[in-house]
Amino acid sequence: MNLKEWQEAFYKGIFDPTQENIQHACHGVNGTENLSSEDRLGIYRGSILGGITSGLTGIFPVCEKLVGEQYFTQMVSGYLKQYPSGSPDLGNYGEHLPAYISEFEPAKELVYLPDVAQLEWLWHTAFNATDINELSSLPFRPVSELAAIQPEDQALIQFCLNPSASLMQSNFPVHQIWGVNQEDFEGEQTVNLDDGGVNLIVWRSQDFGMRIDVLNDDELKFLTAIQKGKLFADIAGMTFSLPISELLPPYIQMGLIAGFNLGKQ
Amino acid sequence: MSSYKFKGHEIQGAGLGLRSSHYQEIFDTKPDVPWFELLSDNYMSDGGLPIIRAEKIREDYPVTLHGVGMSLGSTDPLNTDYLSKLKALTDRIEPTYVSDHIAWVSVGGKYTHDLLPLPYTEETLHHISDRISQVQEFLGRKILVENPSSYMTFDSTDMTEAEFIKGITQRTDCDLLLDINNIYVSAVNHDFDPYEYLKGIPSDRVKEIHLAGYEKMDNYLFDTHGYQVHPPVWDLYRAALKQFGAIPTLIEWDTDVPSFTTLRQEAKKAEQQLKAFS
Ligand SMILES: [Fe+2]
Repeated sequence: MNLKEWQEAFYKGIFDPTQENIQHACHGVNGTENLSSEDRLGIYRGSILGGITSGLTGIFPVCEKLVGEQYFTQMVSGYLKQYPSGSPDLGNYGEHLPAYISEFEPAKELVYLPDVAQLEWLWHTAFNATDINELSSLPFRPVSELAAIQPEDQALIQFCLNPSASLMQSNFPVHQIWGVNQEDFEGEQTVNLDDGGVNLIVWRSQDFGMRIDVLNDDELKFLTAIQKGKLFADIAGMTFSLPISELLPPYIQMGLIAGFNLGKQ
Repeated sequence: MSSYKFKGHEIQGAGLGLRSSHYQEIFDTKPDVPWFELLSDNYMSDGGLPIIRAEKIREDYPVTLHGVGMSLGSTDPLNTDYLSKLKALTDRIEPTYVSDHIAWVSVGGKYTHDLLPLPYTEETLHHISDRISQVQEFLGRKILVENPSSYMTFDSTDMTEAEFIKGITQRTDCDLLLDINNIYVSAVNHDFDPYEYLKGIPSDRVKEIHLAGYEKMDNYLFDTHGYQVHPPVWDLYRAALKQFGAIPTLIEWDTDVPSFTTLRQEAKKAEQQLKAFS
C-alpha cells in the first residue's frame, strides 16, 4: 500500500467503519499491548468526529439544543457519510444539513427542525457575507447613483439585495423557536406551533448588525422578484397591496436593497 | 496596506490565540498583549465580519496566521483555491508568520479538519518537502511548520520525528513552530524521550513555540487544547528555552475556551519563563 492508498483507506476506516475498512486502515499501523492499532484508529475517529461536531454545533446551536448533544452527534456522523466536507474551512460545512435532517428518520417528529437548521445556516452565511463597504468586490452600483439614471433607463433597473440577505419560508413559527432558544433570551419560553408559518429575511445590516425580519406575503413577493433579478418595469407590473413608491424606499433606507444594475430590454 | 502600526514587526513574548468570544473585550480594553495568533482558516471569506474584526485587531497588534488547511502531507494536489485565499489574507493582514502542520488533513478532496499522522520515511519526506516548497513559492514567503501530536506510528517509519523535521528544514529552508505540548503528548503515546527529541531539532529554525493542555486518558494522552498547561510540559518548555533562547510563545486554548483573564494568566506564566532566558 502506498501513501495515497493508505490515506484513502484511513478515510474509509474513519467515516465508514466496517470491520473490513478498519482492517485496511490499520495496515502497517503499530499496535501495542495497551492500545491496538484499531484503538489508535478509534482515537482519530473520536477526534475527527468531535472536531467536526463541535464546528457544526457552532453553526447550528439551536438544533443541537433542541435534539440534545448525543442525538446531534449521531446526526452529524450520518451527515458526514452522505455529504463529506469539501473545503479546508470548517465554516463552509453544513449547507446540506437542513436537507439531511429532513430525511433523517429519527428526527421526523420534530417537523420544524429542518427549517430551524435552514435559519441557522442563513444566519451563519449572512454573518460571513461580504460587507457592502467592500464595494470593489461587489457586482453592482451603489444606490447613491440612482439619481443619475436617465428616465428612459429606469425601466431597466435591477435592484440588488444586500449580499448577506437570504429569504426563507416556513410552515412553522421558526423565528420564534430560534428566538426562545437563544442564550440571552428572556420572556415566555413556549412557542405555539399553531401560530402558523412565516416568511423571513435573514441579513446583516450596516447599522444594526445581524437581523431576522418577518415579511408579509406582499413583501416576500416583492423581495423575491428583486432577488430573481427582475427588471423594475416587470416588478412595476406586479400587483401589491401597497404602491411600489411606498414599498421600495424603506428597503433602500435600511440598506436591504444595497445597489442596482441596468439590465437589458 | 501600509497603515498598520506593526508593519513587519518581529514578535516577542507570550502571545494569545484570538478566539471570537474575546473580540469585544479586546476591542474595549486594548489589553497589553504582545501579539495575537489568528486561525487563518476562519478568515477566508472575503469581506465578512471575521476579516473586518481581524483587521481591527491588526491595527493594534502584530499577528501570526496559523492554519490546518494546507494539508501538507496529503497525496491530493495542493488546493490552489485555498492557497490563493490565504495569499490574499496575508496581503491584507501582513502577519509576522504563516504556519501549518506536518500532517495530512484531506484525501480525495474530502476534508477531515484534523491533523493526521504520516509514516516518517524517505518517500514521505520528499513528498511533504516538495509541497512545502511549492506553498512557499506560491505565497512568496517562508512558512513555519509545526510538529503534530500523534496517536499512531507505522511499520514503515525509518527515522525519528526530529530527523524527519530536520530533513524538511534542509530541503525546503522553512522554519519551525515547535509545539512543546505535542512533543510531550507524542512522547508519552509512543514511549520516546522528549528531551532527546529536542536535541535533534535544528536550533536556528525555531521561530515560535506553542503550549497547550492535554487530557489524560486511560492509556494515552489526548491533545484537546482545552486545559491549562500541565507541569511536565512546563518542564520541557524550560529545556526548550535553554536550547533555543526566548522564542515567542503562544498559549493555545481551543476547546472550552476560558475567560480572557484566565487565558492571560496562563500567558503570564510563559512570560515569566521567557524573561529568565532573554
Ligand atoms: Fe500547536
